[in-house]
Amino acid sequence: MAGEDIDFVRDIRPIFAARCQECHGATKQESGLRLDSGAAIASGGNSGPAIVAGKASESLLIHAVSGGSDEISKMPPKGAALEPAQIEQLKRWIDGGANVPPDSSVSDPRRKTDHWSFQPLTRPATPQVTNPRWPRNPIDAFVLARLEAAGLQPSAEADRATLVRRLSLDLLGLPPTVEQVDEFLCDSGCDAYGRLVDRLLASPHYGERWGRHWLDVARYADSNGYTIDGGRSIWKYRDWVINALNRDLPFDQFTIEQLAGDLLPAARTDQVIATGFHRNTLVNEEGGTDPEQFRVEAVVDRVGTTGSAFLGLTLGCARCHDHKFDPISQREFYELFAIFNNADEPTLQVPTDQQAKEMPALVAEIEQSEKRLAEVDANSLGRQTEWEVKLAGRLNLEQASDVPAAVRGALAVPPESRTDEQKQLLKQEYQKVDPERLPLAARIIELKESQKQLAAAITTTLVVRERKEPRLTHIHLRGDFLHPGAAVAPGAPAVLPPLTPRGEKPDRLDFARWLVDARHPLTARVTVNRIWQIYFGQGLVATENDFGLQGDRPTHAELLDWLAGQLIENHWSLKALHRLIVTSATYRQASRMRDDLIAADPYNKLLGRQQRLRLEAEAIRDVSLAASGLLSREIGGPGVYPPQPQGIYRFTQQVKYWGENKNADRYRRGMYTYFWRSSPYPFLKTFDAPDAVVACTRRPRSNTPLQALTLANDRAFYEIAQGFAARICADGNQDDGQRIRAAFRCCLTREPSPDEISSLKQYLESQRARFAAAPQEAELVAASSPPAVADPVHAAAWTMLARVLLNLDEFITRE
Amino acid sequence: MQCRSVNGPAQLLNSTRRHFFGHCGVGLGSIALGSLLAEDCGAAIEPPDLRDPLAPRPPHFAPRAKRVIFLFMAGGPSQLELFDFKPKLQELDGQVVPSSYTKNKRFAFIKGDAKLLGTRRKFARHGQSGAELSDLLPQLATIVDDVCIVKSMVTDVFNHGPAKLFVNTGSSRFGLPSMGAWLTYGIGSQSRNLPGFLVLQSGPRGPRGGNPLWGSGFLPTAYQGVPLLPGAEPILNLASPPGIDRARQSEFFSTVQKLNSQRLAAVGDPEIATRIAAYEMAYRMQTSAPELIDIASETSQTLDAYGAEPGQTSFANNCLLARRLVERGVRFVQLYHTDWDHHGNKDTHLGQPLDDRCKEVDRPAAALVGDLKARGMLDDTLVIWGGEFGRTPMGEPRDLIGRDHHVDGYTMWLAGGGVRGGQTIGATDELGYYAVEDRIHVHDLQATILHLLGLDHLKLTYRFQGRDFRLTDVAGSVVSKLLA
Repeated sequence: MAGEDIDFVRDIRPIFAARCQECHGATKQESGLRLDSGAAIASGGNSGPAIVAGKASESLLIHAVSGGSDEISKMPPKGAALEPAQIEQLKRWIDGGANVPPDSSVSDPRRKTDHWSFQPLTRPATPQVTNPRWPRNPIDAFVLARLEAAGLQPSAEADRATLVRRLSLDLLGLPPTVEQVDEFLCDSGCDAYGRLVDRLLASPHYGERWGRHWLDVARYADSNGYTIDGGRSIWKYRDWVINALNRDLPFDQFTIEQLAGDLLPAARTDQVIATGFHRNTLVNEEGGTDPEQFRVEAVVDRVGTTGSAFLGLTLGCARCHDHKFDPISQREFYELFAIFNNADEPTLQVPTDQQAKEMPALVAEIEQSEKRLAEVDANSLGRQTEWEVKLAGRLNLEQASDVPAAVRGALAVPPESRTDEQKQLLKQEYQKVDPERLPLAARIIELKESQKQLAAAITTTLVVRERKEPRLTHIHLRGDFLHPGAAVAPGAPAVLPPLTPRGEKPDRLDFARWLVDARHPLTARVTVNRIWQIYFGQGLVATENDFGLQGDRPTHAELLDWLAGQLIENHWSLKALHRLIVTSATYRQASRMRDDLIAADPYNKLLGRQQRLRLEAEAIRDVSLAASGLLSREIGGPGVYPPQPQGIYRFTQQVKYWGENKNADRYRRGMYTYFWRSSPYPFLKTFDAPDAVVACTRRPRSNTPLQALTLANDRAFYEIAQGFAARICADGNQDDGQRIRAAFRCCLTREPSPDEISSLKQYLESQRARFAAAPQEAELVAASSPPAVADPVHAAAWTMLARVLLNLDEFITRE
Repeated sequence: MQCRSVNGPAQLLNSTRRHFFGHCGVGLGSIALGSLLAEDCGAAIEPPDLRDPLAPRPPHFAPRAKRVIFLFMAGGPSQLELFDFKPKLQELDGQVVPSSYTKNKRFAFIKGDAKLLGTRRKFARHGQSGAELSDLLPQLATIVDDVCIVKSMVTDVFNHGPAKLFVNTGSSRFGLPSMGAWLTYGIGSQSRNLPGFLVLQSGPRGPRGGNPLWGSGFLPTAYQGVPLLPGAEPILNLASPPGIDRARQSEFFSTVQKLNSQRLAAVGDPEIATRIAAYEMAYRMQTSAPELIDIASETSQTLDAYGAEPGQTSFANNCLLARRLVERGVRFVQLYHTDWDHHGNKDTHLGQPLDDRCKEVDRPAAALVGDLKARGMLDDTLVIWGGEFGRTPMGEPRDLIGRDHHVDGYTMWLAGGGVRGGQTIGATDELGYYAVEDRIHVHDLQATILHLLGLDHLKLTYRFQGRDFRLTDVAGSVVSKLLA
């Protein structure tokens, strides 16, 4: 028998060991292939099985070592080719069944790494500090310990006006009202700050603020992307996020519902809406495209986004080849791909309660009427005969050109001799005049029209639904879906804890639950780090989307683990985490630059102060609307169309719909602005809003002349200044100084300095004088709407002043 | 290169210097006009100072070109009607393409049994270099000795949006920085009162792909292309609101600056100094732009040469504007002219519609090269002409006849900026199907463009999501035949 003289251990293993395992062994698996264990040899590589037992001529391994094959390059790539005798041995071994004795397998093929982020969470003890009076909670002990070790002191607490503005901006994305400020400043109780935090966390605007941060990660937009970029309706998902945060849906549940809400037992509609998270992928509507190509792109994006959002890993790197730095193989990428590869992409109807009641009622009435109609038709024979007789009589008397020839012909034939066709014709003809039938038929048409209208009025949203027939996933060689390699089963990377499925193979629900398992080393760390980053401008891990080997190590590893532990212990409550952070002394520090800190810790890694942070694009719009008094505080609903400059769609393939709102929707928060991916609202883009193409885990903060032009000249923004002026002037009893002070506090919360008052007063007076001399200009500047001010010179001068306040660096900065 | 944190640590790098400027009340507009022609330093580009993101910075080595004008023919012009004459294709006109060409190929619209289509256009040789052009490009023929024609371009993707992204960003996926963004990130811009990267548009609609074609991807948005719009307000929000004249706007700016300076003194954050500088530049943009777009100030000779008419929106006007922009130090100007997608529909066939596109483009493009040359600017201004792909040797019969998208061999041309003119590089096979000689992939073209600007495409990188990205992805090599 062929190959019976070949012994794997004696003859084959030495060949593999000497010539193959450098690249296909325990440390490295080029093309996903390893040749150092029986099990690994049997499972093959990314291109499929290396060996077809019994058929050397069909085995890739033989093609590779022999060379001259189209499908695989010659192996080994370096050094001499295998000797003919060795190739012959391999062939005979394969032809003989490719037997490998059981004892020659390696014990545990799981990847090992000692990289910090893959290790289980630790439970660090709160460190001892020299100055025990400074810490307000354990966060501060971790921070202070590092500062003290570096010989640095933390900064003093910011003043109360700064704190109330900071908190309000961070938690709600809106400035505090003057009343809220006064309430806090006058509250001398021992936990005024804590009460303020609680009030803010209970505000429904909290969900908007933190929802917007999450929507960056979710790459939320209102259009399909690519070149055609048609509109889509998925705002129900956006509203789900806002609502979930407002009711403090625990982050583990928040994760599960978004990744697999449809698979939950007895899934509620809102849980299915949540799966819109992975419908924020792009859709290419261009003619002549291959739909499978873009379906694959969307699945790749789902894997990549899941990696960025929850794992802090750059999984996308493993699409075309094994990850260069992290222990993620190309095969493992496609195992994750397989988890997401079985989703269908339906559109869900989300009727209101009213619509939900109306629809079945309509359907029932239609059914009933149709049943009744069938009855009427069934007993029409007598009526029809009567009609036939009458009609025949009439035809005898007159020409009756209104009666079709075919009908006349049929009537002329005695009933028993009529063909089926003629019978059918007469029946149809009678139904047109049957007095019992006609009102019923009209009613049905009416009902169906109502049904159509109702259906069109029902909001839809994009969701994910598991398909009945799962797709078989293959590795895409070099990332190209046209080159399928070996088939893979769904699974999680080996470097992470094992994924235990409910059934035979893991699905999205198993995967989602695995992500938020308390033993998972990444999800909680990545989540607390991203939240921390929003409060301090940078995360404890500066590379918030790369916890892998190329990423930065945490500046405060113990604090990171402690916070992650707190999140899990507090049942994944995000509000509890926010409260913990914002009530810390670390958070409450002043942000002023200190010379000693600039010298010793220029990057503020040790957190010896707070950080001044320019507000995000949406927040700049929101604080301006709030200060001016124009803001509409309505939450949720379809996207809106505030004023934008002319000429935006000169540069897009298609002109986008932009029906500028004339009502209160004109002044909605920035997050509700309809987002066309191919041509976003320019204000948002200018201030670094993400383009919603891939997950954005951190926005850059640029500082450009185009931003200055926008704040100074943009017509939407200018209108806000006009509205602000009207608000300032509304109180007729104030003098200039009082008004300036009030306007200043509206914008910046704090009291103006005497210098600032005098600069502003001087400016106001000079503007008033110049407008008085140029009343036509004043007319142009003074607003006709919103609320007009009686004296245009007055209104124009105050518009100029309002415009200055809205353009201050401090106004668009969280101090 | 380490620049993963755009808004955090990098901003503080020069905080002492900023501190100084802040307290001295000096704007930043004037500080960074550093030496442009640095010696070959051979090192990676340092991350720019985001307080003055467009300040000119030295490249890796002495550049041949200082600025780029990219004439983007959106839709994919037919190389077979314009540049690449194939007698064999004429001979086989009407026959089914040999299956060896189309096996395992995907096309946007046509199928594997499509019939070959010979061109109906007349070709002739021009200039000392004897470059072969069709009668659709009579003006290009007059400057052809300054031009390098590349007949062997290849690209990876055959749908418009992805293919345009590929040319601009080196990737067919969204989210990567465009060439102009990479360039201005790498070496800034010489203009102190205009954006460093401007985009102009002519033709019936915007290019497929939209903003991401000139986006900054993961680079700071300061590097994204800024659309230059037709009309009196060429940059969004450039005009002061109604009722605000120049004096009033100036008073407004100085009051804002005064208050910002007071705040800077109080809190010491260098970011405020940047804001002050940004407002200064915004004001300069407002005051200089009206002069920039006023092409009526050009001589009638110049206007005629381009075929430009003040007050119109046309490729001709845009070419003239492009010259004015590069004269003022703008680093990268990209002109999109749309509607080259000649599939064979009523308005998109290879007859009159193609005539019209060529008429719109031929004269201004040639005039631009000639004008730059006359002004002594062609030597260091790189002009590029081409689309996202070419068109198939097979015809695409629809209402009339056209051609489908083709990625395996098409034509572009380059002039000036260190490119050796008066030559034709590369060739396709006898059917004009595959580039067979001096194949130049899009990534090679990108590497070459960066090289001409003094940048090593392997070193112009940016760390994002754990990977060092570059314009040329993991490929590209400089095409030495292109270089003068």
